[in-house]
Amino acid sequence: MSDDNLLSLSKATKLYAGIPAIDSVDFDLRRGEIHALVGENGAGKSTLTKVMAGVVTLTSGTMTIDGVEVSPKSPLEARHLGVAMVFQENSLVPTMTVAQNLFLGQERFYNRLRGIYIAAQQFLQSLNFDVAPTATVGALGAAKKQMVEIARAVLHKAKVIIFDEPTATLTPEEKKYFFDLVRDLKKRGVSIVFISHALEEALLLADRITVLRDGRKVVTDDASKFDRARVVQAMVGRDLSHTLYGVRKTTVRKAGARVLTAENLKMVPMVKNNSLSVFAGQITGVFGLVGAGRTETFKIVAGILKRDFFYGGKIFLRDKPVRFRVPAPAVRAGVAYVTEDRKVEGFFETASIARNIYLALMSKFPGGRALLSRREANKIGRDWIKKLNIRAIGDDTRVVELSGGNQQKVVIAKSLAQAPDLIIFDEPTRGVDVGAIVEIHELINRLADDGKAVVVISSYLPEIMALSDRILVSRQGKVVEEFSALEASEEQIMYAAIH
Amino acid sequence: MIGAIRDFADRFIGRGDAAIAVPSFDGALKPNQKLEDAEVLLECVAPEDLATDGRAIYLADGPKLLRLDGGAARQLSVFEEPISALASLPGGGLAVALAGREVRIFPEPSAAKPRASLTSGLCAVNALAPTPDGMLIATDGSMTRGVGEWAWDLMERGSSGRVLMLDPATGSSKALANGLSYAFGCCATGGGALVSESWRHRVVEVRRDGSTKIALAHLPVYPSRLSPATPDGYWLTAFTARSLLVEFVLREPAFRKRMMAEVEPRYWIVPRLRSGDSFKEPMQGAHIKTMGVVKPWAPPRSYGLVIRLAADGAPLYSLHSRVDGANHGVVSAIEVNGDLIMIAKGPGRILKLPIAPLEKELGA
Repeated sequence: MSDDNLLSLSKATKLYAGIPAIDSVDFDLRRGEIHALVGENGAGKSTLTKVMAGVVTLTSGTMTIDGVEVSPKSPLEARHLGVAMVFQENSLVPTMTVAQNLFLGQERFYNRLRGIYIAAQQFLQSLNFDVAPTATVGALGAAKKQMVEIARAVLHKAKVIIFDEPTATLTPEEKKYFFDLVRDLKKRGVSIVFISHALEEALLLADRITVLRDGRKVVTDDASKFDRARVVQAMVGRDLSHTLYGVRKTTVRKAGARVLTAENLKMVPMVKNNSLSVFAGQITGVFGLVGAGRTETFKIVAGILKRDFFYGGKIFLRDKPVRFRVPAPAVRAGVAYVTEDRKVEGFFETASIARNIYLALMSKFPGGRALLSRREANKIGRDWIKKLNIRAIGDDTRVVELSGGNQQKVVIAKSLAQAPDLIIFDEPTRGVDVGAIVEIHELINRLADDGKAVVVISSYLPEIMALSDRILVSRQGKVVEEFSALEASEEQIMYAAIH
Repeated sequence: MIGAIRDFADRFIGRGDAAIAVPSFDGALKPNQKLEDAEVLLECVAPEDLATDGRAIYLADGPKLLRLDGGAARQLSVFEEPISALASLPGGGLAVALAGREVRIFPEPSAAKPRASLTSGLCAVNALAPTPDGMLIATDGSMTRGVGEWAWDLMERGSSGRVLMLDPATGSSKALANGLSYAFGCCATGGGALVSESWRHRVVEVRRDGSTKIALAHLPVYPSRLSPATPDGYWLTAFTARSLLVEFVLREPAFRKRMMAEVEPRYWIVPRLRSGDSFKEPMQGAHIKTMGVVKPWAPPRSYGLVIRLAADGAPLYSLHSRVDGANHGVVSAIEVNGDLIMIAKGPGRILKLPIAPLEKELGA
């Protein structure tokens, strides 16, 4: 072990019910380095970082910090050892203020709120974070919440900060700011471990990259020695880069009948006079920066959100005016919405795959069904597990036990079981590994080939370019530009999205 | 009673017919500048309609009937009133509508005397189309306003348009459909005719038994004349695009009444065939510039558009002249020997575009 190493894991193994989540992994983190952990869903990245952060303990193997063998039993213990973790689903208390969150767990016997605010203000300013200490955390955007999490880690004098998918919810501008923050932390001597599915970020930001596959370490090397293709190959054991985003479209599907028309849809302040059409047999990609009103527009279409009551615009489904106030009638009318936030809106995580899909199917029946059949549910579950290649231990596996990519397939299966004509995919591959991305893309293409009207909302331009037949660009609550996939370039799309 | 309450509620809430909403130009109607790229064959004073017998092109320019030979025009005759519609007949004849009130049938285009003349009850005949069995289909835009007063009809929310079946042999006429909101353009189909209903922004199929079926609805434009395309389908012209301001004005009867009474017609807030003549013209919310570029989504005061329709009426692609273009107010388009010949009434131009490259590029 080099003296330069701050944290090391040797032969680290963690078993869940006898199945290894990580298996004999050797990992070392140098002082003041940014170390990226990449791998498919289920590769063991989260387990490895959870071991470092004291969330889980090793079944076998050792962990050392500054050359001393340690075995933190809790996050608090890990924090005392100088290791803090910023989780993907942030661990802040939304009803408390920024300052209260910062000092949570460090309260004295007598606390003056004013004193806490002043201390928080000074501390945040020292980090150059533009966050008001008196702001309620629930009211903050994703980037600011991330800042509070980071600030809390630094306040706890963490020597190691672990980020789990830190940029998944950030806008491009916020990402840039986040990268600057991470580099600043590095300058302060803090070591960073970060998990990311966005390989470009890993290549851009990290000093070293470790690739995990099926719970084992495949390779650790300097980031400069990697390129995208090498990382992907190491992750999945085969070369997928060409099948994913590498190939530019040379043909586009012809538009079929107009399935959806939105005219001057309004839900101020997010959706402002938005008008668009969606056609059968085509993939309509909707690109825009976060806050462009894309999700809200299609949530109105699917009856999840309500348009403005006064002069809220019109929606036509197959040229018939509709207004869905709740999702069930939209489902019955053939509209399916695959959510961007699967963990909150996508499924009942403690229910089985079959039960989740069956419940979704029940919404097709007005007023539900008096008799439910477990046999029918299991059959439907098995069918969809097979159709979408959902990798689960058994039919009755709970959704919470699946990897992110397979959870996403369950969410998609729920929607497809409803036999929709219009399927809206909102960020369909967010937090999904490369292998599952390919499968989901193939599925989306198949749906369009089968004549369904498909909408793909994505903030990831290569995904929009790879999937879409026509591309709508949304900005400030309305569609501002349309491109054919044949004519569009990333620069044009981004220009339309920003200016 | 319930209907009246619902209408009142709709007006208050802004839903149903009272919603101020305009569909977008997307999909097959995605804006381009193809009409601006068209060759200008001829500039004239008041072009109105085109007709072809497959060889020659006939043009109505005010009261003059012209024959186009390449870029040159030869005058065939001059009428006492402006021509409002033209149609070539299967036997080599020509049907000419004059000021919308009379339809004359000529045995040949250069003939001095008509073979027949139909006048009974016509008010605003703006399009003619022959049928294979020797009949003539005509759209009579309005029963209350003449062809030159279409803006009045729109502001009065007129719905007295008709589709007529004229018999040149007997001079009789029969209404196939009534109560249309400005019928403007027709083309014979197997069982009847495809008809543009401008104020309702749709194309309807009118059968010979009088039944109607919507072929294309929710257009972001005011559709006008139709003509057959090769090998099948149709060319549909739209004389301008819808704008939110005009939609708003159409839902404000008191405002319209005062505007019609007190404002000079050329400054009314109505769709136009051309714009930019005077600073007194209302803005109509258009000409929105961002970063020095006139955005294509800005609602224009005038617009140029031709839509290629499939045989079932579905749009395949479209040709545009956008807000920063000049070839606006397209009222007629016909296909002749692989070229599309069009009238841009706004600037008074006859345009020509070869169809093959369009089909290749726009993917029909």
